[in-house]
Amino acid sequence: MPLSYSDGTVSEHMACRSSAVVFDVSHLGTLQLQGEEVFSLLQEQLSNDLNKISLGRTQYTHLLDDEDASVLDDIIVWWVDEDSFYVIPNASNTEIVQQAIGGTDTTLDRALIAVQGPRAREIVAVVSPEAAAVAKFHVVPFTFHGEPCFSAGTGYTGEDGVECHVPASVANRFFNEVMAAGAVPAGLGARDTLRLEAGLPLHGHELKRGVTPPEANLDWVVGYKKSHFRGREAVESRKARGLRYRLFGIRALGRQPLRDGSAVFLAGRSVGNLTSGNYSPVLQTGIGLALLEPALTDGLEVEVEIRGRRVPALICKYPFIP
Amino acid sequence: MELPSELRYTKDHEWVSIEGNHAKVGITDYAQDALGDIVFVQLPTLDGSVSAGESFAEVESTKSVSDIYAPVPGRVIEINSELVDSPELLNTSPYERGWICVLEMSDPAAAGELLTADSYLGLIS
Repeated sequence: MPLSYSDGTVSEHMACRSSAVVFDVSHLGTLQLQGEEVFSLLQEQLSNDLNKISLGRTQYTHLLDDEDASVLDDIIVWWVDEDSFYVIPNASNTEIVQQAIGGTDTTLDRALIAVQGPRAREIVAVVSPEAAAVAKFHVVPFTFHGEPCFSAGTGYTGEDGVECHVPASVANRFFNEVMAAGAVPAGLGARDTLRLEAGLPLHGHELKRGVTPPEANLDWVVGYKKSHFRGREAVESRKARGLRYRLFGIRALGRQPLRDGSAVFLAGRSVGNLTSGNYSPVLQTGIGLALLEPALTDGLEVEVEIRGRRVPALICKYPFIP
Repeated sequence: MELPSELRYTKDHEWVSIEGNHAKVGITDYAQDALGDIVFVQLPTLDGSVSAGESFAEVESTKSVSDIYAPVPGRVIEINSELVDSPELLNTSPYERGWICVLEMSDPAAAGELLTADSYLGLIS
């Protein structure tokens, strides 16, 4: 996936907010798991509780470090058939997820194509009415030029849309047909500004070694009702000892893009660092996510240090857009 | 790509328009295209003195930030405040509405060191 296509990041971003874009997100991993034992295996190895969903649904979940509950990867699980799951890790974490849960790495056999935006379903319906009709957080099979595919009502932009798993042999055709039906191709640059405006975490930034789910406001991803799972004692112990930081939104008063790693100051004192930062094309201000002292609250005026200069900003709630 | 022959250029992808001892400065079409969507400009300090090659402004796109270097020594006598709210002018009109500032040259001879359109073209092709 390129950083941007010919229209540029801001225009691709706005196309997703007002119409629809198509991303080739085939770089994500896919592990295919099949068998009676898979449900219990995923329940044991991943944080979220599959009892909250059922066949034909998807779930956001984490792989935790058993020692300290660091988020080693954030993952989407598609429950596609009886005893059959697609587990979708971040590209660079596919190997450690596979070490934990096994499965067959089918990443190179398929493409993942995301169509996102208020017009996404209307556009996908031109290519496949079945794919377009999938409900939010559900996954359904469909056929494209005779090939078996899946469509999930998921995404990473804060907009409605679908993500389609299609065999590599028909991937170009699918992408081109979606584009011909009216979706604007969008690159990695827009994918990052869109997910940031939507307040969605990115592994390696908000989620990484040293950050547990509750510290990233993602305690709901931990299935505490399960009898046991990897990292359980560690995450409970972290909560009992107190969170070290908490994830907050930061909104600059001006247009300057905020940047990952920048220190955040409250009344002259450093209270944490940005984990992501950029420019919000919708708000036309700098925005970012930051791991800050947990007792801070929304609305506080802070300063963000960018290349030696401090720019005024507010701690705020995220998502940054409605 | 546009490369007006009446302008002078630097290896850091600024253009310079010389009129008397005034030098108007911007970034080239090639530079704006490489940077992508420009969303913020840190303008030079009005009335500030700069030496040639000194970083005196910044332009930021969604993907990166780039320093703008003073092409000639001098004093900043005018800045393009329109860029504060409309930094995208650097993309849409790099040689006209996207100008960054005007320098009053302290050493007009320094302009002789700047590149012609042809030499700059040789540098980027």
